[in-house]
Amino acid sequence: MSEEPARPAFAGENRTRSAKESAIKWFLFVCAALSVFVTLAIVATLLFDAIEFFTRVSPLAFFTGTNWSPKIGEAFGVLPLVTNTLAVTALSALVAIPVGTASAAYLSEYASDQVRSVLKPALEVLAGIPTVVYGLFALVYVTPALQAVGIPVGTFNLLSASIMVGVMIIPMVSSLSEDAMSAVPDSLRQGAYGLGATKFEVTTTVVVPAAVSGIFSSFILALSRAIGETMIVVVAAGMSPQLVPSPFGSIQPMTSAMVQLATSDLAGGTAAYYALFAIGLTLFVITFSMNVASNWVASRYREEYE
Amino acid sequence: MTESGFLSRRAFLAGTGATGAAALAGCIGETGGSGDDGSAETTEGGQSVSGGITITGSSTVYPVSVAMAEEFEKANSEVDISVDPTGTGGGFENHFCPGNSDINGASRPITDAEEENCNENGVDPRQFQVASDALTVVVNKDATWVDSITFEELAQIWRPDGAQQWSDVRDDWPDKPLELYGPASTSGTFDWFTENVVGEAGSHRSDYEATEDDNNIVAGVEGSPNAMGYLGFAYYQENSDRVKAVSVAEGDASNAVEPTLENAKSGDYPMARPLFVYPAAGSIQEKDQVYEFLKFYIEQSETDIVTEIGYVPASADLRDDNLETLEEIRNE
Amino acid sequence: MATERSTRDGSWYGDGEGVNQLRGQLFKWGCLGAMLFGIVMVFVLLAYVAIDAIRPLTADPGWHLTFFLTLVAPTSALLGYYGLRDRRSGLVGAIATALPAFCLLVGAGISLLLVDVFRPIEWFGTAVALVVAVGVVYVHRRLRTEPAAFERPIVTVGALVLAVVGVPGVVPSLSQLFRNAPIALNPATMLLYSFAVPVAILTGLAIARRRESRRDGLIAAALTVVGGVLAVIAAPAVGIDDYLLIVLSLSIAAPTAVYVEGVVRERDHLVGLALPIVAYVGTFLGAALVEAYGFAGPEAWLDWQFLTSAHSRFPQEAGIYPALVGSIMMMLVIVVSAFPVGVAAAVYLEEYAPDSGTVGRVVGLIEMNIANLAGVPSVVYGLLGLALFIRYADMNTGSVIVGGLTVGLLILPIVIISSQEAIRAVPNSMRQASYGMGATKWQTVRNVVLPESIPGILTGTILAFGRAIGETAPLLMIGAAAVVFSPPGSFAEKFSAMPRQIFAWSHEPSAEFRYGVLAAGVVTLLVVLLSMNAAAILIRNRYQRRS
Repeated sequence: MSEEPARPAFAGENRTRSAKESAIKWFLFVCAALSVFVTLAIVATLLFDAIEFFTRVSPLAFFTGTNWSPKIGEAFGVLPLVTNTLAVTALSALVAIPVGTASAAYLSEYASDQVRSVLKPALEVLAGIPTVVYGLFALVYVTPALQAVGIPVGTFNLLSASIMVGVMIIPMVSSLSEDAMSAVPDSLRQGAYGLGATKFEVTTTVVVPAAVSGIFSSFILALSRAIGETMIVVVAAGMSPQLVPSPFGSIQPMTSAMVQLATSDLAGGTAAYYALFAIGLTLFVITFSMNVASNWVASRYREEYE
Repeated sequence: MTESGFLSRRAFLAGTGATGAAALAGCIGETGGSGDDGSAETTEGGQSVSGGITITGSSTVYPVSVAMAEEFEKANSEVDISVDPTGTGGGFENHFCPGNSDINGASRPITDAEEENCNENGVDPRQFQVASDALTVVVNKDATWVDSITFEELAQIWRPDGAQQWSDVRDDWPDKPLELYGPASTSGTFDWFTENVVGEAGSHRSDYEATEDDNNIVAGVEGSPNAMGYLGFAYYQENSDRVKAVSVAEGDASNAVEPTLENAKSGDYPMARPLFVYPAAGSIQEKDQVYEFLKFYIEQSETDIVTEIGYVPASADLRDDNLETLEEIRNE
Repeated sequence: MATERSTRDGSWYGDGEGVNQLRGQLFKWGCLGAMLFGIVMVFVLLAYVAIDAIRPLTADPGWHLTFFLTLVAPTSALLGYYGLRDRRSGLVGAIATALPAFCLLVGAGISLLLVDVFRPIEWFGTAVALVVAVGVVYVHRRLRTEPAAFERPIVTVGALVLAVVGVPGVVPSLSQLFRNAPIALNPATMLLYSFAVPVAILTGLAIARRRESRRDGLIAAALTVVGGVLAVIAAPAVGIDDYLLIVLSLSIAAPTAVYVEGVVRERDHLVGLALPIVAYVGTFLGAALVEAYGFAGPEAWLDWQFLTSAHSRFPQEAGIYPALVGSIMMMLVIVVSAFPVGVAAAVYLEEYAPDSGTVGRVVGLIEMNIANLAGVPSVVYGLLGLALFIRYADMNTGSVIVGGLTVGLLILPIVIISSQEAIRAVPNSMRQASYGMGATKWQTVRNVVLPESIPGILTGTILAFGRAIGETAPLLMIGAAAVVFSPPGSFAEKFSAMPRQIFAWSHEPSAEFRYGVLAAGVVTLLVVLLSMNAAAILIRNRYQRRS
């Protein structure tokens, strides 16, 4: 933290300086490379114990089994967990994608600066609420509310958990999509106006198609977040995996099975314990490839405007 | 950007940098200094103790340990107790056997593999039964036909391919489908019920509504006149106005015993599941606070602290035996 | 969308059946409605949880009436006036009202640390040691104008290390020496030196800069110190420990006074200052009247008792205090671990990383990897923390430092990405000007890029910290305790954090826990979190307006 006055000096003026410069550069590089280390550590951690699991349970039985019941009959079929995760993801997408895209269109095309300055922070509040709180909302308020309007949901159910997961990822869809829509140059809009298009037509036929790669990659990112969402489903979705889930009943996605295994009465060193890491690996691979896909879509189909 | 703005931001950067470095250094210093939380200062009478106690293990034993810790803290505010429901197995595997926990609660006896694992790490687990949980079979308030049930009938219902209708079990019960609610298969309650009531371990049916939260069993049973479920007595006690408890007999139906804490404490009620704590012998010998806490725990395990939670307290004999064992371990 | 698109190819816009306004209007309001759906839903839920936590209906009608008359009616009237006539003043008033409350939270946070983590003597020792270290560095700079390679950084780091850490087992640190030295100072005096004086210096600097007058700055600094002394005198009457009152009163008074002074001096929207006066006078008046007439307030779950006691098996006695302190300590670990590393990584990626060549490809890989890491589920980070810190590094299960490092790794990608954005926003012309004056890369980064981008970096980072404070799943995996009865005494001890405690309460059988205590815990967590977000948004707005 030197406070030297800015005396005239030229880069590489003496060796001290260049040694210092390159030391700093390497230090900063190590900080940046730490992220690679983190990824490798995650993969190593998961692989190590997952392999231990697969020596006890065949990968085929794990990935194609249709019964998840680590305790009764030691059935380790991951498929019910996967379908339950997909059910949560699909239902939450039904909430988040229309709402998120519409919000983005409104913010980007219609909202005045003043309205935007109120609505954007409000949306950010949605993103800032801890997921355990969303889970409690689903359990303590949404489920009773659904029951009150006559929807026959159980105490723990897929529907209210998915609604809350959907609400949680709205800001993700809306902010990334809005960025993509705002990045569409005004010249395109003005061109369309010049051809006699209405604002509606400009939005739906010019802006949205032009921004579609960004919008799409925001969907993928948001869905990968929904797949990895843990606390909402742990608190509100129940603990009974169903191969064909009902929206009104209790289910168990992958993340919540992991938490259950990690905090249950299972004897350590058993296959059920190592199953934790096998599910973790499956989850990691799914979310990681979705993120890669999102980046790929965003960069591959990006329309460059200069 | 003005010059003064520039300077002030530089000063700010320097300031935060220095503070951050100092704080980091402080952390390290702090950690290095007090990494060993086992150091306890003992005074003459051993009355005032300090230091940390880490309790992990079964979520069934958790409420007892929390209550004990709460009461113990009132007299010994210098002791830091942390209680964490990691599950019996998770607690042994991740926390207790590696030496990171002083006491592990368990809703089943320790397995040989777990004991081996602990011994390999130089941790010597010792067993104390501190309470029991009276498993309670509950039915809907409107299910007037059933007041008592035998182990055999329970087994008929809960084994794989078990009864589908009430009438399959007893002829005078109605021709209505059984709706079953029970704890999830990862819970100790499930284990005990499977092993001791249904038969051999692992032979519980899987087509029932399994839940980790016993409140859900209450809600499910309350909602349907054809429902049956089993859960810990604590949840029944909390909700005794919503569901009906069924008397249980191990042998003949005429000997059915009502699930009450008195009956369970006296040993009459057949579905009382023992709850244990496993302290490490090393912790008892080296850490005064663990020893004092366990002494308190065992002394109080016979009192209303346990009853209020809805568990069955230990009998006076058991308490005295435990205290004796504790002294023996302490003096090893 | 795809079908809409195909219409573009064959036809001109607007050549169909003329312009249909209805469709456009429907679309516009539909979009707004969809957006409001999410927002309103969450705000309704927040209102529910707040009602459960505070239970306003249990209060005496007289209580409601009193506060309506003294607080709600005048404040609403004033707000209405601002809304219609004078919005800028309204903003000034809102800031002047919120600032003391916000500062109270910060001051309370510092006080918690003083009570439970650093004793006043430790704080004092560290502060004095730091002053000595900075003095040494300054003198060294003055005497050695032509330093050898790495001389300065070595001296700086060495001085800091000696001051705060020392060499374990060989040389005790300076702060250790001060701690153990027979200093006959009471906690209040120590805090006057080590807290009031730095605050006074900062206040003085702020005032001196704004008024461009050294004298005014000195007066402000002196007034601050006097304020600290007054706090000591007033402490017995207030009933709080004197050293805590110093911290609390100064952390509220100093920033508020600086802000109000600015408004008064500029004679800018002075009307706005009516709002805090009306609001706070109304509150105190209402409280006094309620006391005098004996109206019972609401039997809130969220009350002083809740904030200051530990978990209990009786819902009426349960509280969140140890978890609150645990969360704050965990945040400290995250701030000192994830923040510097994240910013350093961002600096490398934006300023140093080459675009091409082997290194360039590696850097591209790193950037992509960071973006992907941001999407890894938090529960997986929990497993990582379990394996990395507990199994391999053999740290204590569920200790503050393990929790902080695990959650720190989780938010590291977010910190990096948002810092990168802030750094990217610095215009290139500024860098080039710096190079033009002969500055090296690092000098440019240190003197130009970082100072310029720090508001943006802070905004993104604070938002990331907000995420960190609410994370639960990793804490479950690393075995953070569900319940602790006293705050952790050091960073190596077991801790519980607010979300962990809340999750534990959700398993309690009784409804009073599930609806009452739980709601109070959620509101506490959200207040801490939303005020962090508010701080981030304030910094951003201030920054945006300037550029």
